[in-house]
Amino acid sequence: MPGIRLGKGFAYRAGMTTSEMVETVLERIRPALNADGGDIELVNLEGDTVRVRLTGACAGCPSAEMTLRVGVEGALRRARPGLRVVPVL
Amino acid sequence: MDPQIVVGPNPRMRAIFEYVALIGPGLGSVLVTGESGTGKEVVANALHQHSARRHKPFVAVSCALFADTLIESELFGHERGAYTGAVAARPGRFERADGGTLFLDDIDDVPLSMQVKLLRALQNRTIERLGGTRSIPIDVRVVAGTKRDLQQMVKEGKFREDLYYRLNVLSLTLPPLRERREDLATLAEHFLRRFFARRQQPMPPISEGVMMALQAYDWPGNVRELENTCERIAESCSCGQVRVGCLGASVLFPSTDDAFADAPPTAAVGADAADGEIARRTTSDQRVAHGPTARSYPDLPLDERLLRIEAEIIGAVLAETGGNKSRAALRLGVKRSTLGDRIERCGAYVQ
Repeated sequence: MPGIRLGKGFAYRAGMTTSEMVETVLERIRPALNADGGDIELVNLEGDTVRVRLTGACAGCPSAEMTLRVGVEGALRRARPGLRVVPVL
Repeated sequence: MDPQIVVGPNPRMRAIFEYVALIGPGLGSVLVTGESGTGKEVVANALHQHSARRHKPFVAVSCALFADTLIESELFGHERGAYTGAVAARPGRFERADGGTLFLDDIDDVPLSMQVKLLRALQNRTIERLGGTRSIPIDVRVVAGTKRDLQQMVKEGKFREDLYYRLNVLSLTLPPLRERREDLATLAEHFLRRFFARRQQPMPPISEGVMMALQAYDWPGNVRELENTCERIAESCSCGQVRVGCLGASVLFPSTDDAFADAPPTAAVGADAADGEIARRTTSDQRVAHGPTARSYPDLPLDERLLRIEAEIIGAVLAETGGNKSRAALRLGVKRSTLGDRIERCGAYVQ
C-alpha cells in the first residue's frame, strides 16, 4: 500500500496534558480518515468530557460515530480512566 | 455453508493450496499447525473435498471441548449402560465419519491416557465403543489440528511421541495473517461480498483509508478476526462506501499493551515510549516486586494476607504518584473507580 501508514500504536509521554493526549490519539487515525476525505478534531475539553467532531466523508454516519467514540474513548481511558468522549455536529 | 478456499497473491499460501490438492486424495494422516483463526478447519475441509471421500461425511471435533473423561465417549461412542446416564447406545465421531474425514482440532488437549487409545485406533483402524466388547472397523482419514508446537510438547513429555509420528505423516503449517498481508485485500473483498450478499446488497467499493487500516493492524485473531470485522462492516454500513468509520474500534485502536506485548522489555523502555507511562509502569512493577511476597504474613488467614499485601502494593504506588489515584490506577492497570473500591476494601494509605 503506497503512501502513509498508520502508526504501530501510540504512546503517551509523561506529563502530557489531557488535550495533548487527545491529539496523540487522533493523530493515530487521522491519516486513514484523511485518505477517505474526512477528519476528526478536538472541539473542546470540559472537565471529564472530550468533545470531538467528525468532518467530511464519515460525518453524520451513526456507525462511524460509534466506532470513533468508542475507539478514542477507550484509548484515552487507558491513561485517564474517567474521560468521556462526546461527538458533536 | 462450505467454507471456500480463497486464493490471494501470497506465495506461501499458494504453495499450501497446491500441496493440499496433491495430498488430498491420499489416506495418510495430516497434522495442520497454525495460530487460532488461521483456517485449520478450512484446510481440513479442503483436503476432504480433494479426495474421493468428498461425498462421505466430514466430521470436525475440537478436543478442547470435552472433559478428560468425556472425550473417549465422544470419539469412540458408548454402548447402552456404559455409564450412569448412558441410556442409549451412541456412535462416536469416528463411526460417524466412516468412509470420510475426521478433523480432530486442538489435538494437544487430548489427555495422555487418551492418547494411547487414539494411537491404537489409528494403528489398528478399529475402535471399541465405551463399555462395548466388539471391535468396529473404521475407514477414516484423520486430520489433526493444533496451535501448539507438538514436537516441543513431545520433548516436554506432554504428548506421546508415537502418536505424534502417527499423526504427522504429512504436515502443513499455516502462516498467521500478519505474515501474509498481501492477501488482505482478496480476503476482505471475499468476506464483504459474502456478508453484503446475505443482506441482498451489492458490495460497495472499499476506500483507501480502510485498506490502510487493515494493513496497519496486526490481526491477532487472524482470518477469523478479519471475517468478523467484515461482517460488522456489512451489518452497519449504510453510506454506499466502506470507509474508515465503518471499521471496528479494536482495529483502529489496538491496545497499547498489545502493541508492546511481544516486544522484549528493552524495546518498551526504548524508542517512542522512552519516558512514557509504559516505561514507568514497568519500573514501578519491578519495585513493587521487591515489596510484599507470597511469603509475607505467613501466620494470617489467606484473605487477611491478601488484603495486607494488596494494601502495601497500592500504598507504594500511591506514594510514587504523590497520592494521585488516576495515575496510580493507570500504573496498576485497573480502572480509577476500581482502585477506589480496592482502597476502601483493603485500607491502603500513602506510606
